[in-house]
Amino acid sequence: MNNLEPQYLVTIVTILVTGIGIILGTALPAIVEGRAVSKALDSISRQPESANEIRTTLLISLALLESTAIYVLLVMLILLFANPLLDRFF
Amino acid sequence: MQTISPQVVFLLFGLPVRNTVIATWAAMGLIFCSVFLINHFKPYLLEDLVNFISNMIAGIMNLKHVEHYLPVLGTLVIFIAVANSIGTLPIFSSPTSDLNSTVALALVVFFSVHYYGIRSKGFKKYLKEFASPIFLLPLEIISQFSRTISLSLRLFGNILSGELIAAIVFSLIPLFMPLPLMGLSLLIGLLQAYVFMALSSLYIASAIEVSDL
Repeated sequence: MNNLEPQYLVTIVTILVTGIGIILGTALPAIVEGRAVSKALDSISRQPESANEIRTTLLISLALLESTAIYVLLVMLILLFANPLLDRFF
Repeated sequence: MQTISPQVVFLLFGLPVRNTVIATWAAMGLIFCSVFLINHFKPYLLEDLVNFISNMIAGIMNLKHVEHYLPVLGTLVIFIAVANSIGTLPIFSSPTSDLNSTVALALVVFFSVHYYGIRSKGFKKYLKEFASPIFLLPLEIISQFSRTISLSLRLFGNILSGELIAAIVFSLIPLFMPLPLMGLSLLIGLLQAYVFMALSSLYIASAIEVSDL
């Protein structure tokens, strides 16, 4: 580990971090969104005449929850394909 | 191939013009031409569209008369929907896949929230409502900035990640594999346009807070 050049070290650490980051960043929002959808379906079945309002609220809330997953995906894509840290060592 | 910062195509009076700016001009031309043609042949479709958007905004803001807010919000939803979808055409890349465009749209929402709040309540009363419990004032200021940043980054991240994934899969399996991904990014583009408009109308509704509905 001591005689690795900095580019190799940065690349290896980047690959590890993106692997773990993508797994956590897509699994956790998916679990939470599933819980929100199940509560919304329960409330639609309990009160069918407010289905439109519940659908609107559900869509907005799902897009808000999805946005954190998109932030994680964006950072991972930048790290993989346009890594700014590889040019820091000269 | 779309990278994080888009490519410069030519120089106009010494300023670099990127390919997303050209796609913005194309989106504007598309909206103008299609509105002109629809108005010439079937004008009731345009009235239906304006009524549909107006009912959507009235449902979200819980107001009966939304004519003051309809221009800004209607323009946002139509432009963002067209701009997100124009990236699937061959030579264009979506205008909203550029961080500059989405920050500009989020700044429009930021200034219009304060404008509508001051117009409906008066300057002193609006500022007093910001600082009503005085220890909540830093939280209010931070929440204003974080709303703008999250609006712009949500739209930018969704559209850019769709384009990057389509480009990467295109370099692996050329003909069939990008098609479901492009369909998914069209759907996500329309949904993100609706979410942008819904969130901005919620922010405007919380800034005006009129008691008569």
